[in-house]
Amino acid sequence: MSSAAAAILPPRGGPSGAASDAFWRHPKFLLLLLLTPPLLWLGIIYLGSLFALLAQSFFAIDHYTGMIDYTPTLRTYRELLTTPANLDIIVRTVLMAACVTLFSALIAFPIAYYAARYARGKWKALFYLGVMLPLWSSYLVKIYAWKLILAKEGIFNWVLAKLHLYWLLDAYLSLPVIGGNSLSVSYTGTFLVFVYVWLPYMILPLQASLERLPNNLLEASADLGAAPRQTFWSVIFPLALPGAIAGSIFTFSLTLGDYIIPQIVGSSRLFIGQAVYMQQGTAGNIPLAAAFTVVPMVIMGFYLWMAKRMGAFDAL
Amino acid sequence: MKRSFKTFTAILAVSAFVSQTTISAAAAAEMLQKLGDGEGEVSIVAWPGYIERGETDENYDWVTDFEEETGCKVNVKTANTSDEMVALMNQGGFDLVTASGDASLRLVAGKRVQPINVDLIPSWKTIDDRLKDAPWHTVDGVHYGVPYQWGPNVLMYNTDVFKEAPKSWNVVFEKQDLPDGKTNEGRVQAYDGPIYIADAANYLMAHKPELGIKDPYELNEEQYKAALDLLRGQRKLVSRYWHDAFIQIDDFKNEGVVASSSWPFQVNLLASEDAPIASTIPEEGATGWADSTMMHADAEHPNCAYMWMEHSLKPKVQGDLAAWFGSVPVVPAACKGNELLGDEGCKTNGFEDFDKIKFWRTPVADCDSQDECIPYYRWVSDYIGVIGGR
Amino acid sequence: MTSAVRFKNVCRHFGAIRAVDGLNLEIAPGEFFALLGPSGSGKTTSLRLIAGFERPTAGHIEIFGERADAIPPYRRNVNTVFQDYALFPHLSVLENVAYGLKMKGVAKKQRLARAEELLELVQLPGYGDRSPAKLSGGQRQRVALARALVNEPKVLLLDEPLGALDLKLREQMQEELKSLQKRLAITFVFVTHDQGEALSMADRIAVFNEGKIMQVGTPEEIYRAPRSRFVADFVGSSNVLPPDLVERLTGTRAWASLRPEAVRLVSRGGHSATLVSSSFLGAQRRAVFDFDGFQITALLAADAKLPEPGKTARLAWGESDLHLMEDEPVDGPEGAA
Repeated sequence: MSSAAAAILPPRGGPSGAASDAFWRHPKFLLLLLLTPPLLWLGIIYLGSLFALLAQSFFAIDHYTGMIDYTPTLRTYRELLTTPANLDIIVRTVLMAACVTLFSALIAFPIAYYAARYARGKWKALFYLGVMLPLWSSYLVKIYAWKLILAKEGIFNWVLAKLHLYWLLDAYLSLPVIGGNSLSVSYTGTFLVFVYVWLPYMILPLQASLERLPNNLLEASADLGAAPRQTFWSVIFPLALPGAIAGSIFTFSLTLGDYIIPQIVGSSRLFIGQAVYMQQGTAGNIPLAAAFTVVPMVIMGFYLWMAKRMGAFDAL
Repeated sequence: MKRSFKTFTAILAVSAFVSQTTISAAAAAEMLQKLGDGEGEVSIVAWPGYIERGETDENYDWVTDFEEETGCKVNVKTANTSDEMVALMNQGGFDLVTASGDASLRLVAGKRVQPINVDLIPSWKTIDDRLKDAPWHTVDGVHYGVPYQWGPNVLMYNTDVFKEAPKSWNVVFEKQDLPDGKTNEGRVQAYDGPIYIADAANYLMAHKPELGIKDPYELNEEQYKAALDLLRGQRKLVSRYWHDAFIQIDDFKNEGVVASSSWPFQVNLLASEDAPIASTIPEEGATGWADSTMMHADAEHPNCAYMWMEHSLKPKVQGDLAAWFGSVPVVPAACKGNELLGDEGCKTNGFEDFDKIKFWRTPVADCDSQDECIPYYRWVSDYIGVIGGR
Repeated sequence: MTSAVRFKNVCRHFGAIRAVDGLNLEIAPGEFFALLGPSGSGKTTSLRLIAGFERPTAGHIEIFGERADAIPPYRRNVNTVFQDYALFPHLSVLENVAYGLKMKGVAKKQRLARAEELLELVQLPGYGDRSPAKLSGGQRQRVALARALVNEPKVLLLDEPLGALDLKLREQMQEELKSLQKRLAITFVFVTHDQGEALSMADRIAVFNEGKIMQVGTPEEIYRAPRSRFVADFVGSSNVLPPDLVERLTGTRAWASLRPEAVRLVSRGGHSATLVSSSFLGAQRRAVFDFDGFQITALLAADAKLPEPGKTARLAWGESDLHLMEDEPVDGPEGAA
């Protein structure tokens, strides 16, 4: 080693060198610098518009002139919650979101479980590709494709007809509520497309949570005398729950807010998203539209609160 | 022609609201008295397909030569609904808008558009007399817009099922067996917009004269209730309401739908694919839409805007556009000798049916024909209810 | 008497890797048995074969005389203390301990009471409400132990149970585990790579290398009489003397081991050797000598009179201290030299 080497190196030249030294001495300053723009964005653009929206819901439309009356009132909420058609929309949307979420979780679980615990190497890559691929193609294209699949003269019916199983579909479609003239104009059709479109959002967090689940916990459970079913309910399920909750937050809130799928595949009965679109747009009733958008926010808040109470986040 | 739909977030709504409250104080500008030199550009809010520069199909181009002649570069911002147009105009920064009847009066009332000096538009006199003083752009004798195109909401039907054109709208309103012997349940459609209540009112005008409906956009409580009842009956026949022209086209092809209110646009498109589709205007008449080019109150390029309005009335432009869009020109001269439209084009698209058509207007409480009418916001919430099964 | 655990020609191959290869082993009931070996030697796989987490690719395993190789883990009355404890993070300490009883369907009140008893046994009374995440390494170790013992297993398996603890805690736990085992009279099978731990705790040891057992015996046997160079090397850092040298010393041509502490410094007689280096270890001093071209390490008293490095000293050892390794082939790669 050369004895000429100094123990302390000279400062690096230029302003970037000086800045590096300053940041090293005051790490909080760097953090502040990095966080300010996103916080400003979040605070002003996002929260600001959210509060502006909330504020809107406390105004009401003047029923004589159709103009917005800017005095704070709860009249719009009363209209929202006492008009049967509006309640229908809320109940319909929440039920749909709940069904979509439950069913997504049900079919996402085995897929996620396989991917997290068994798939290795190229199979894992294939899994990610398979799950993500639908996310890469256009949302609208997918929905239109589903419309064609489910149409009365569509692929699905054609296949059933070839299999001589058309009577089965007919019987199903004659059921009240979930049936209809064809799958593409029934709640079932809307449901299927919702599940298809949001499924990746359930699989990925579920898979992440299952991946974090150490194998030796499963071995420990079996070792202590738990049959596979017991292991599932006592270990896998509670530890996968945060992932399922995270996924369900996606599927649930995305279904609550979507207004395109029920527009293209469905019976034209409105969902909350469509109602918002229609009220703020066509009707110019921004207060009611705002009140409608508050509904999913309240539901999601309640949902998160329940999930927290149930201990879904304890293992985080 | 409220074609398709588009993301329209709550944030946009809020920003529209904010700008509305801040800007609306600005008074409408005075009418322009004298045309000067072009400002080099003009920006237009338009329906998709309304302003074509040959990019979709090189035969359809009515922008390039305008730019060459006037030196005004045309910027187009497309909007998919009347409400989006209103929102864009409220934000400002545009010179012109191709507003439909359900948006035009709102723009006038909101003072977002300025009066048009028809003397500065030499072709004004070539406009169809039936449209010159149309109420959707003329308020108290003042013109706030130049007619652009119009069209009827026709009854589109499947010619395999209907060997003869249906005579009445009852095929979509009343439960019945169609000529092929099968019920119309699940095989007809209706428009998924509150304005469709006017179609029901129009039907009742003919079939229930005792209600005394004079104008389908001006309904009192009783007339309105009757229209809703009719629509409730229709709900049982309709599997899906149509909103997007292309979804409707698909439903006629794949969903077994055989009759519905529609636009010539869909009819022409299906017919061009050799689908067994035709359209008619039944004996009750029909609703329809009529668009006007209107000028922003704070237009930055008024001279180019006037030049565009003049240009938009040229027979060639009118004819090409009508052929492209399936609409009717507002300049009758455009109907003859247009290569793209053909000699029968105007007739096909509804030129002779003008008198049968009740053009879309925004229903307001303060109406002309009666003391008080049901305003549009109620149309919206009640139509939602009807479709929802209430 | 039936063995607590018996391996009969057991193989566990993972593709081309022979993790366990032709294992024969009997562990007696009540024994504290150590599986000792370097990492990858097959000791952990053997433990997992007993627990049922792995199935043999050939041969079979008996637990208390019953064939077990097709029995799933949850039907074996065998419990495991995992290397990193594998405590359930979503359950409290008490619930963790009571888990085995819950799976058996024991009523809540009884199982929690029993779990509390077990916590007392491992000296963690009153810790039941805590979350495992809030415990220290040693405490987790005890919880894992209590959890594994709650089902009163016939065999308790411990996978490197003390590996994650610091030295002091480790010595304390060694004592505790031993006394616990004596008290409960359960067969303990534990895996370790630390020969000191194995020697001090186990009744018997199996030394593993490359999927095979090199030697089974009491700690003394293993330490004093390694049967192969590998065992001699791995257990206690013996001097390994090659056949040529051993032949000169004893007349018998064989590999031999000579424990460092058996080497003495004498003033006359013995063998002449040159001191290479020495280091002070506190209670003892370790000296490395050159003896006829071979290095011999001696563990001497701390105050031993050593010459300067490079100078000659005289070394001696008892005749019986030079142990001939019967399992080591004389004509091995270095033996011929």
